[in-house]
Amino acid sequence: MAFEDVWKKISWLYYQYILVTALYMLEPWERAIFNSILISVAGMAVYTGYVFMPQHIMAILQYFEMVQ
Amino acid sequence: MARTTAPVPNGNLKIQLNGNNFKNENCKKNGYHNKAQKNSTAHSAGPPSSRQRFQRPESFENPPMYVAVMTYLGFGIVTLFGYFRDFLRAVGLEKCHIAREREEQKDFVPLYQDFENFYTRNLYMRVRDNWNRPICSLPGPVFDVMERVSPDYNWTFSLTGKTIDNVINMGSYNYLGFAENDGDFLKTVADRTQQYGLGVCSTRQEMGNLAIHEELEQLVATFLGVESSMIFGMGFATNSMNIPALVGKGCLILSDELNHTSLILGARLSGATIWVFKHNNMQSLERLLREAVCSGQPRTHRPWRKVLIMVEGIYSMEGSVVRLPDIVALKKKYKAYLYLDEAHSIGAVGPTGRGVTELFGLDPSDIDVMMGTFTKSFGAAGGYIAGKKELVDSLRSHSHSAVYASAMSPPVTEQILRAMKCIMGLDGTTVGQARVHQLAENTRYFRSRLQEMGFIIYGNDDSPVVPILLYMPGKVVAFSRAMLKRKIGVVVVGFPATPITEARARFCLSAAHTKAMLDQVLFDLNELGDDLCLKFSRRKYSPRPQQHNNNDDTDFELDS
Repeated sequence: MAFEDVWKKISWLYYQYILVTALYMLEPWERAIFNSILISVAGMAVYTGYVFMPQHIMAILQYFEMVQ
Repeated sequence: MARTTAPVPNGNLKIQLNGNNFKNENCKKNGYHNKAQKNSTAHSAGPPSSRQRFQRPESFENPPMYVAVMTYLGFGIVTLFGYFRDFLRAVGLEKCHIAREREEQKDFVPLYQDFENFYTRNLYMRVRDNWNRPICSLPGPVFDVMERVSPDYNWTFSLTGKTIDNVINMGSYNYLGFAENDGDFLKTVADRTQQYGLGVCSTRQEMGNLAIHEELEQLVATFLGVESSMIFGMGFATNSMNIPALVGKGCLILSDELNHTSLILGARLSGATIWVFKHNNMQSLERLLREAVCSGQPRTHRPWRKVLIMVEGIYSMEGSVVRLPDIVALKKKYKAYLYLDEAHSIGAVGPTGRGVTELFGLDPSDIDVMMGTFTKSFGAAGGYIAGKKELVDSLRSHSHSAVYASAMSPPVTEQILRAMKCIMGLDGTTVGQARVHQLAENTRYFRSRLQEMGFIIYGNDDSPVVPILLYMPGKVVAFSRAMLKRKIGVVVVGFPATPITEARARFCLSAAHTKAMLDQVLFDLNELGDDLCLKFSRRKYSPRPQQHNNNDDTDFELDS
C-alpha cells in the first residue's frame, strides 16, 4: 500500500512539473525530447560535480593554507 | 501597467450599502446567509438614490513572484518548440496543415503572413479543443455539450455522436436567466411571431419601422429613466456604427484602456483623435482632460469640437465596475460628454436592475449617451442607445445602422419586451425582482467563497463576472478540460484577449443558478484548486461564512 501512495505522489509531482513548464500542451514525443535534454544536462552536471569536487575542495584548502 | 498594481484607493475603501436595500422585502429567497437576513436591520432604510453611495473595494491582487517566472518559462518552452516545429514544417519533415501558397505563386507578394500566425499555429492549435465547443441545447443554467475527438492533435475534429448532458453552464451571459424555453413564458413571443412573421426585410428608415419597435423604444426609455431611446439589431454594430455618427474629425475621444473592441472600432471609424487613459484611473483621466482643454487640437491649437469620454459599466475581462461618480464630476468640471456602455451591467447590477447609474445613485440625465445591449441580461440580441430626445432623433437619421442595417426581428423584440416588463414588474408578478435579487445573492456568495478558498479574483464585489486568475498556460488548458470532465462548462481566456501573463477563467453567474449548482461548482473548484495548485492568494480570510456585508473590509490583511 505504501508503494501505491508513493507512486501516486510521484505521479502528482510529475503532473505539476508538466503543467508548470507547459509541457502539458505538447505532444508526447516533444515531451520525450525535452525530458531527455533536461535529464542529460542535469546528469552531466551531477557527473562533473562528482568527478571534480574532490580536486576543487583540495584546491580551496591549499589556498587557505589549511593542508599542504 | 496600471493593472499590475492595485489601483490607488483614493479613500474609496468604504462600506457598501446598496445591496441591502432589498433585504427587508421579498423573503421568498431565503438567502444563503441565514444570519445575514436577521442582521440586516441597520441598513434596510437607505434610499437607492442617496448621494452618499460608498464603493465596494475592487481588488487586483498580484501573484507571488514565482508564478510570473513560471508563466514566462512555460511560454518560453512552448515558443522554442514552436520554432522547432516550424523548422520541421519548412524542411518538409512534417505535413503542414495551415494554408500555404501554391508552388506557382511563391515569387509573388506573400498572401499568408507566416510569422504573424506563429501564436495561432503553435500555441492555440495545440489546445483548441477548449474553445468553440458545440452545444446542442438551450444555454440556460445547464446545457448539453457535444463530444468531439481529434486524431491529429486538434487540427481536425470529429463528433462522436454522444452528448455530455447537464453540464453546469458558467460561461453564458445569462445574468437574469431569461435564456429559457418554457412555453408559458414565451407565449407572447409566439403570438407576435404569428402576427409579424420572422423577417423584417428592410431597414428602419425604409419599410422596417414596425409598431413593436416603437413600443420597445418607449419601454427602454422608461426603464432607464431618460427621454428617448433607439434600438438596433446587433449589439456590436450599435457601438461601431453609432460612434461615427456622434463624433468626427476634430473631436477627441478619451477611452479607457480596457474598452471592448466594438468601442475601439467605432472610435477609429469616426476619425476622431483617441487618447487612452489607464483603466479606472481618475488621475490619468483628469490629466488628459486638462491637457485637452489647455492645448486643444494638435497643430492648430484650436479647441476641440467635442470631448467624449468612453467607458463601460462592467468590464467583462476584469469584472471591475467603472467609477461613475468621479467621472461624472470630472465631465461636469471640464465640460466633456460621457458615453457609457452598459453591455454587461444593464439588468445585472443595481437594486432593481437598472445598471450602474442606479448602483451609484446617480441621475440618468447626467450621462449623455447611455448604450447597452440586450444580449446579456435579456436573453435576446441587439442594442440600444438612449439619452436626450435631440440626440436620439439625430441618430435616427445619421446612424449607419439605422439607415443601412436591417431592423430587429419581431420575436427578438418581443422577447426583450417581455423580459423588460418582467424586470420592471409591469406584468404583475415579482419574478423579475426576485431574479435581480437572486443574482446579487449568487454573486456575493460565490465571490466570498472563492476568496475564502484562496483563489485570486479580480474585480468589484458587485459584478456577476468573476475572473479567476490561472496565469500559466498549461494550467489554463488543464483546468478547462478537467472542469468539463466534472460536467462544468467554463470559459478560459488567454493571450490575445488578456495580457500574456494573466490568463484566466471567467465565470458568469446567473439568477437561474440554484445554490446546489453553485455549491457543486465551488466543491469542484476547491478540489481542482488543490489538484492543480491554483490557490495563489496571499490574503487571509477568516474561515467562517460570510455573514454581513460590512465584515468584508475588516476580515483580511492586505498583502504588502
